Amino acid sequence: MLSDRNVAPGAAAMLRGGRGAVAALRRAAGSRGAGGHGRGQALEPSLLRFLVCPLSKRPLRYDESTNELINEELGIAYPVIDGIPNMIPEAARTTRKKPPADGSKETSGPAGPEQ
Amino acid sequence: MAAAGLGPARLFLGRRRGALRALLGLARGLASGPQTHFGFQNVSEEERREKIYQVFENVAEKYDVMNDSMTLGIHRVWKDILVHKMNPSPGTLLVDVAGGTGDIAFRFINYVRSIRERQLQQKLKRHQNLSWQEISKSYEEEKVKPLGDSQVVVCDINKEMLKVGKQRAQHLGYSEGLSWVLGNAEELPFDDDKFDVYTIAFGIRNVTRIDLALQEAYRVLKPGGRFLCLEFSHVSNPLLSRLYDLYSFQVIPVLGEIIAGDWKSYQYLVESIRRFPPQEELKEMIEDAGFFKVDYQNLSSGIVAIHSGFKL
Repeated sequence: MLSDRNVAPGAAAMLRGGRGAVAALRRAAGSRGAGGHGRGQALEPSLLRFLVCPLSKRPLRYDESTNELINEELGIAYPVIDGIPNMIPEAARTTRKKPPADGSKETSGPAGPEQ
Repeated sequence: MAAAGLGPARLFLGRRRGALRALLGLARGLASGPQTHFGFQNVSEEERREKIYQVFENVAEKYDVMNDSMTLGIHRVWKDILVHKMNPSPGTLLVDVAGGTGDIAFRFINYVRSIRERQLQQKLKRHQNLSWQEISKSYEEEKVKPLGDSQVVVCDINKEMLKVGKQRAQHLGYSEGLSWVLGNAEELPFDDDKFDVYTIAFGIRNVTRIDLALQEAYRVLKPGGRFLCLEFSHVSNPLLSRLYDLYSFQVIPVLGEIIAGDWKSYQYLVESIRRFPPQEELKEMIEDAGFFKVDYQNLSSGIVAIHSGFKL
């Protein structure tokens, strides 16, 4: 499940051309190891000590595989695009992958390892 | 952008996003109810946010060129004065809100870098009998920490402006100690008591709820932290005021059309300056947010003012 999600963005990055592929390779070669090819550049680690959820002001978890900052409590994820975290609440996605049939909330976040 | 598997979910979420946004609006008590202004028009708050977003989306590419033409380059002096007034020492943490294309952030980095260089040079001068090892160690220090742990986070609500800012940073060679965040000044994604200095240069005028932005500024500053706001303000001299009005309404939108192909955005700009509270009123708003020792400094006879306050 996790590998499916990783292959598509990686392949898309390669197709998109040099920069995406180079960024992905650079990240892979760097201290991050193999976790770094989400979509585009990963987040700068120095930012992590400042960033919180703009709605609840609670800490966020950075998920390298999807390149998102996740607020577990509210079940929302803020994307990181081109290395810039998008912290506008309206742009965040809920961590539900499929709409639940009975309308109840399931926070099924990506099954990545806790950092 | 999304993996194939998320496609249908994204469509669903796309509709949901509108609902989410409306919910958030209601939750914040805004909905589309309260009326506010967009230049000289009266619009709802939601509309105002969208219109302003579009203004800056349109002008982002030409933002710097327009600034130079409209102010005849003087905006550079104003920004220099702001950073000199800030007088940051190495190790300072700055958040530059509505800092889009990076003008203040770059100046901050230059300032801190030169102070650091001078610090290291002074240290060398003081020790006359240094061994070669000690000398090379201090050069290493300078290379490894050219900014001495200073950091600036540029926060802006507009993606296009941040994109331009990041490109400029690349061209000019700024990378160390500089980060970019897409965020709303009224709802900053930063933790409490984090920054030494908060700046907002020519940005607060475009914020819909200035009181919220000021409260957020207070929240994210450390105790002892400084709030600095550079913004167009009120010219009291009547003659100068007439000339300024003439220039603003007759020349600037025309320049906007010629250079950026966008008359309306620059019409908005000059109108928004007229709608913005004058010096004393802004000072009171800043005091209401909890800041102490609030005062302002007029530049260019009040065309621009720097407001400053401290969190104690």
